Amino acid sequence: MADVDFVALAKCHDGPRGPVEVLRGIDLHVPDGAFVVLVGPSGCGKSTLLRCVAGLETPSGGEVRIGGVRVNDVPPAARDVAMVFQGYALYPHMTVRENMGFALRLRKDPDTDARVEEVARMLGLTGLLDRLPRQLSGGQRQRVAMGRAIVRRPRVFLFDEPLSNLDAALRTQVRAELRRLHAQLGVTTLYVTHDQVEAMTLADRIVVLQGGTVQQEGTPQEVYDAPANRFVAGFVGTPGMAFLARLEPGAVVGVRPHAVVLGRGPHRGTVRFVERLGAEALVHLEREGEALAARVDGPGLASLPEVGAEVSFGLDAVHRFDPATGARQA
Amino acid sequence: MSAARLGRCLSIGIALLAPVRVDAADVTLWHAWRGEERAALETLAARWTAAHPDAPLRATFVPYDALAGKIEAAVPRGNGPDLFVYAHEKAGTWAARGLTLPVAPTPGALPVAAAALADGERARGWPLAAKALALYRDRARVPDAPADTDALRTAARRWTRPASGTAPAQWGLAMETTSAYAVAPWLHGFGGGVSDGARLRFRRPENVAALGFVHALAREVVAPELSGAMLVRSFDDGRAAMAISGPWMLGELRARDAGGVDWAVSPLPVVRATGRPAAPWATVETLFLAREGPDARAVGAWLAGEESAAWRARAGRQVVARQGVGYDDPALAAFSAALEHAVPMPVDAVFALHWEPLARALRRLSRGDAGPEAVLAQADTDVAVLARPPPAPVAPAPWLAGTALLAAAGLAYGARGAWRARSEMARAAHAYAWMAPALAGVGLLVVLPFLVGAAVAFFETDGTSWTFVGATHFLDILLARDWGLASPLSLWRTLAVTLLWTAANLVLHVVLGVALALLLREPWVRLRGVFRALLVLPWAIPSYLTAMVWKGLFHREMGAVNAILAAFGVPAVGWFDRFATAFAANLATNAWLGFPFMMVTTLGALQAMPRELEEAAVLDGATGAQRLRHVILPQLAPALLPAIVLGSVWTFNAFNVIYLVSGGEPDGTTDILVSQAYRWAFSRGHRYGYAAAYGMLIFGMLVLYGRGVGRLLGGGVAGGAPPAREDKA
Repeated sequence: MADVDFVALAKCHDGPRGPVEVLRGIDLHVPDGAFVVLVGPSGCGKSTLLRCVAGLETPSGGEVRIGGVRVNDVPPAARDVAMVFQGYALYPHMTVRENMGFALRLRKDPDTDARVEEVARMLGLTGLLDRLPRQLSGGQRQRVAMGRAIVRRPRVFLFDEPLSNLDAALRTQVRAELRRLHAQLGVTTLYVTHDQVEAMTLADRIVVLQGGTVQQEGTPQEVYDAPANRFVAGFVGTPGMAFLARLEPGAVVGVRPHAVVLGRGPHRGTVRFVERLGAEALVHLEREGEALAARVDGPGLASLPEVGAEVSFGLDAVHRFDPATGARQA
Repeated sequence: MSAARLGRCLSIGIALLAPVRVDAADVTLWHAWRGEERAALETLAARWTAAHPDAPLRATFVPYDALAGKIEAAVPRGNGPDLFVYAHEKAGTWAARGLTLPVAPTPGALPVAAAALADGERARGWPLAAKALALYRDRARVPDAPADTDALRTAARRWTRPASGTAPAQWGLAMETTSAYAVAPWLHGFGGGVSDGARLRFRRPENVAALGFVHALAREVVAPELSGAMLVRSFDDGRAAMAISGPWMLGELRARDAGGVDWAVSPLPVVRATGRPAAPWATVETLFLAREGPDARAVGAWLAGEESAAWRARAGRQVVARQGVGYDDPALAAFSAALEHAVPMPVDAVFALHWEPLARALRRLSRGDAGPEAVLAQADTDVAVLARPPPAPVAPAPWLAGTALLAAAGLAYGARGAWRARSEMARAAHAYAWMAPALAGVGLLVVLPFLVGAAVAFFETDGTSWTFVGATHFLDILLARDWGLASPLSLWRTLAVTLLWTAANLVLHVVLGVALALLLREPWVRLRGVFRALLVLPWAIPSYLTAMVWKGLFHREMGAVNAILAAFGVPAVGWFDRFATAFAANLATNAWLGFPFMMVTTLGALQAMPRELEEAAVLDGATGAQRLRHVILPQLAPALLPAIVLGSVWTFNAFNVIYLVSGGEPDGTTDILVSQAYRWAFSRGHRYGYAAAYGMLIFGMLVLYGRGVGRLLGGGVAGGAPPAREDKA
């Protein structure tokens, strides 16, 4: 077990039109045993950050520390980290057993078979040990990839969008399994995703990345309740936060759908369309040319307003952001 | 395309198909003469036509390489010309096959030409021109023609100097000392020859003396390993003071004001020991009559006559086969004089068998493998093998019955299959219709020649007479009946060389190809596209050109390989003198030709392989070698294995490289099965049946190999359980 630290970490790629800054001075502490999710849109640098920990990328500035030791120049194999790739990267010509035991066999570990079987039991793969990857379903492959990481008993787990190739139902199931495994093994975990639901459900702590810098770091609740800036506020939470620039002078007001109360309040808007989701519905409004949504559930579902109707609404809780910088205002 | 254009295209196509559509009254003549000779002939044709408008003479140029083949194909079918010009060596074979007709002897012909064409009271054709070897000399260094062999040697010694510093080596004489044709003058001059009147016999005291003389020349004063083109160059740029060559070299030498040497030609000198002149072979450019007709006969006699000869000598700069013709050019006069002592080359098929054994004896002598007497004795043995009597005929009846039975069984089997699948075939009738043209093409171009080849293997034939010999050829080959198992002529030894050849090549191809592909994938390699294109280049160049370039690179004197070795102080290597070095030269050439295919295949397979796999292996702690072995190579295997199978078959049959680079040297030891089969068909006396049997055996081996490999690939790579469906559980 080990904690992971990033100190002023920077990374430049050579692009076709000169160098591209992918990471610009990341400072971050991942406590020992924590499940930290790196989240952000495509190209925000989250995968690069992960690959810097794995040793698959060499930082162009700053430091990566594992267990307090600088590892910038330590070869990947010596870092004692295990990674689960987006495409699983199972060796196609090896059976499940061989895939899972590959690292141990290279080390000539005498316990290889026993450990593979133990992990296979943990993941419910025992019956599949002698199959080849192409004979497995997507979910099974994903579990083999995790098994291969677990068998090694590494100090740090790295997950690079491991669920993005699974369908929605399977994803929910594997999320739960991942949490269970983390609780059981207690290994420091860095998990990259662009899916903020995954981030919210899995993480002890969330790190929101954008443009190669950390936008906010905190528990999921902290990030949800008090987004540090307009970007984080828009990225976290489903459905997303609406931003109203014409409501108050000197601030952009952010409001989540559940904080919009229809039927009473000082504001008025026009109903543009209504999304019925079964247990709830979203009423999309327009106010002075700006869009926002209101969540309706319970008895309100019986009397949803018509499209085109003028309705009044109130706001329960709002966030205020600086119109110029996007930073949160007190 | 408009109808008019279509019509035009069609008419052009038809015109191409029938290039020589002539009126019946025309006299047609095919020849391969070029330059001044051609112009002179065309002028003569015009003169004839002007004088005989009712029987115009049409002379058609056909490239030399194609002429004999066209004659043999066209004349028997009645599509040939009335007359054609060719060297007289073929006269015997062609007359025997009825391709040419006898004519009246030409009065006033050179005696050597008349003798060459004599066939009892008649002649095999009209002699037009004649060629024989003579001595070229640089007048600045050798002012007078050497009168005898001692004078020749003295003059040559005087102008021979080893290379020193930047000055290249100087040679007294340039001649092809390993060519049976170029050595013949000395055999004759020493009183010997290739035949003792009754049969081919080399080992005679006169021939031993002649070879001793040639070998001494070769050691002392002759530039080594000269081919025809290099001989011309070494004399033309002054590195050789003298050269022995024929009139064909006249046109290759630069004029004196263009930097050429001031040269003169004289007949070959007298052999001091015997007092006889060195007598080269004479070859006679002969006008053959291919179709009976009074006009054709008149044209033939006229073209061989005085007026035509004088014109060809003057305008065509030809050494004509006629007495009493004056030449303006002293070189032509000298060549004409050289013909006085020349020996007409015999025209029988047995004589043609002597070339390869004698050339091999000369090469062994030149390598120092053995002395003159021993190499000539070996040549006698080789000739005995080549000229051995044809196998006894075998009664064809049981074979015919067997074949008929087999064919019937095959047909019945096919018919049964077709009957069982009749409904399916009926449903897919249109598919069969679409396939029909391709099937017809394959049948015509692949199956039919294969069946003909298979049939030929059961006959003894030289192309004219056919004798059914059953499986004799196969047994002769498989049991190595005529020579030991270890002889280079034995199938088994050749097979061993072929297998070694194939295996060594494949290892090099795969190692080089995979290594370069992996290298080209590395991100730190700049200009990858350029390198990739460059590395595919060896594949894009026709392999025979590459093979010829590599042969040049391995030349003992002028090759780049020895030049590079010399820079490191390594003495010149005679690459084709020993099996190991000749094999290595072949191997280097074919490795060069073969690695791009493996490289491209590997690059493709690598592109399909996710990089994540390697990254996973890196994190799993695999070293570079372990990644290659456990991750990359197993991924490449499905693409590489079929490529290796293809490559092995190509290499197994890599005729171009063997034939052009080592040519089987030394002594046929580097020959592989296909080049061996080729030699039986084309350079050891046209033993087509034997060669066809060889081909069938090669085919059988490859079929067996293919089945084995098919099983291997089917079980190991392409097989396995089908992929599972994605489950949603």
